[in-house]
Amino acid sequence: MMRYHPLTILFHIYNLVKNSAFIAILLFVVNRESDLWLFEYGRYAFLAIILWRFIYIILSWFFEQYHWKNQAFHMRKGIFVKTSSTIPFSRVQNVTKKTTVFHKLFGLTSLSLDTTMEGEGESIYFAVVSKQHADFLVDLVQEAAKEKKTTQEEDIRQSEIDSVQGAVEHEEGHPQKNECVIHFTADKKDLIKASFTSLSFLAIIPISFVVYDYLQSFLPGEDEMEGVFQTVVGSVWLIVTIVASALVIAVGFGVIRTFIRYGNFRISSDNRHIYIDKGVLDESYFAIEKRKVQGLEITQSLMKRIFGLAEVKIISSTSRPEGGNEQADINSLYPFLPVKEAYRLIEEILPEYRSDAELNKLPTISLWVKLLEPSWLWIVSTIALVYFKPDFFQIQQIWWIVIIVLFCLVVLQRVLDYKHTKYAVIDDQVQWWNGGLSTKMFMTKRKNMIGMTYSQTKLQGYFGVASLTAMNRSTPVRVEVINDIPFSFALQMETWYLNRSKEIEITGK
Amino acid sequence: MVDHKLERTLSPVYPKMKMISDTLANSIAIIILAGVFWLYYYFAWPTWAFWVLIALLAFTVAGTLWSFVEPELLYRSWSYQWNDEYLQLSYGVLKKEWVTLPMTKIQSVSTVQGPLMKRYNTRSVKVETMGSSYTIPGLNEGTALSLREVIAEYAKLKEVDE
Repeated sequence: MMRYHPLTILFHIYNLVKNSAFIAILLFVVNRESDLWLFEYGRYAFLAIILWRFIYIILSWFFEQYHWKNQAFHMRKGIFVKTSSTIPFSRVQNVTKKTTVFHKLFGLTSLSLDTTMEGEGESIYFAVVSKQHADFLVDLVQEAAKEKKTTQEEDIRQSEIDSVQGAVEHEEGHPQKNECVIHFTADKKDLIKASFTSLSFLAIIPISFVVYDYLQSFLPGEDEMEGVFQTVVGSVWLIVTIVASALVIAVGFGVIRTFIRYGNFRISSDNRHIYIDKGVLDESYFAIEKRKVQGLEITQSLMKRIFGLAEVKIISSTSRPEGGNEQADINSLYPFLPVKEAYRLIEEILPEYRSDAELNKLPTISLWVKLLEPSWLWIVSTIALVYFKPDFFQIQQIWWIVIIVLFCLVVLQRVLDYKHTKYAVIDDQVQWWNGGLSTKMFMTKRKNMIGMTYSQTKLQGYFGVASLTAMNRSTPVRVEVINDIPFSFALQMETWYLNRSKEIEITGK
Repeated sequence: MVDHKLERTLSPVYPKMKMISDTLANSIAIIILAGVFWLYYYFAWPTWAFWVLIALLAFTVAGTLWSFVEPELLYRSWSYQWNDEYLQLSYGVLKKEWVTLPMTKIQSVSTVQGPLMKRYNTRSVKVETMGSSYTIPGLNEGTALSLREVIAEYAKLKEVDE
């Protein structure tokens, strides 16, 4: 059995301090004088919890251990309630290395091996680990996957990838390094564009409020402030300067934020894995096995569509380990790709996915179905508005204006959805676009769909259209719907899906 | 409405059985509602409570009326079929659904039987996949048990990429 790196203790304490700092300030600085019971007892409770966590962190280092044997990790966790779990290497879906500023200080990194299993104790997370050991562990897992693969002879899919990429055929029993190809690196122009689309510069607004709130105690009193306000309004030039400098700060702030988050972005792959490197201060590295990709998604928000950018996401069957925080967007290839680049990237990285399909548009009849469908959102809010007749901003009649605006928005959303909905099936691949203000494309392979349904409401039945639902493995299960397609296409899709047995291999007889 | 029927149907006693169980449930609901109405008068609750109760009563009465029509419609709408590779279901009165599930993706199968179902010698079969569960209600007892066996047998098989 092995212990985790000793600095794990320091890392957890550092996180503890970081996460509790806000509450500590609230309790001991801001409300220092307050004798409200909440703060009074809160201080004791806070200290008790911190002390307890502190002891727990130190003890857990002595108790929590891991080792590997027979192609599996064996983990021992907990101090009072002990759990020991065994996780086979083959269950590891993807690998994430995250090097925060803390890790950089000591030349270390963190590693999480994400599995398909759900529930606690089923994750493998090394909060602090030396770079060599992390690489060793990753190799351990990936070599295992490779060996498992080579023993399964005639894997059609793999040979397909090999042939397309023109990679050297690997001989059995001789695991060799595949050539790693870099597909994408973020350049400065992309990043500057990106910082505008994400609107992250608006983050300055809440921050400035906080700063103002904090500074208020040092600033002169209300009356004097009013005097300052008068002078400010009086001078046009002063206003212009203030607005301009605020804008410059805001934009500069947004650009810096984006550079820190997405600078050094690099997507590469060999014929087995996809690798994503990113981050300037906090670096992260992410690897996913290609055959575990369940589908792809391209999303475009309104802002991104204006700038011609899109986000490519991978749908994979992974659950997040408990320690691996803020990994919500880890499956995102890159959030700010020019649309053409996005397609090129997909074709390069996952050659079995095709993006040259000719997409079908919805028939005109679908527009009527979309428009005739009752909008529960509008009905409920209309009833509420008519009943309460609220007056926002001191305007008496605003409630019926809101009703009309809402109605227009609903109609706009539906018309746009009609315009954006496109679908296609080629070979064993299905894909569709839909969405109103923000749009989304979904793409998957027949063999990765774990179920298919189509449905028809009375209204859809009258017009001869249907909705189609695809289910894919992910955590939680991914359900994608396309509405108001011709019924004949739904039937065609059913037949298509029933032919999926061509691509799958069955074991367990 | 396009009709796209599958091979098998539910047990013919299903509509009758469902009507009995629905009526029982609705009767209980009405009795409880009557009890709450009595509480309302007895404790002199505020007026808005009266309107809430009236709304609940309206829903229950509408539901009761619907439950006299629904079982027959539901019975007619239900059909299913299976082969070595797929289980297919089709059902729905107001919204019609057609479901196709690969046998390899089914994770568990079970049969359920309540007292009323026992009286009519029927069982429902509940099939669970990774993300959802489907129930085929009111099958003949023999059919249900054999269907469970068949699905359990095929569901044991797994695809290579898992």
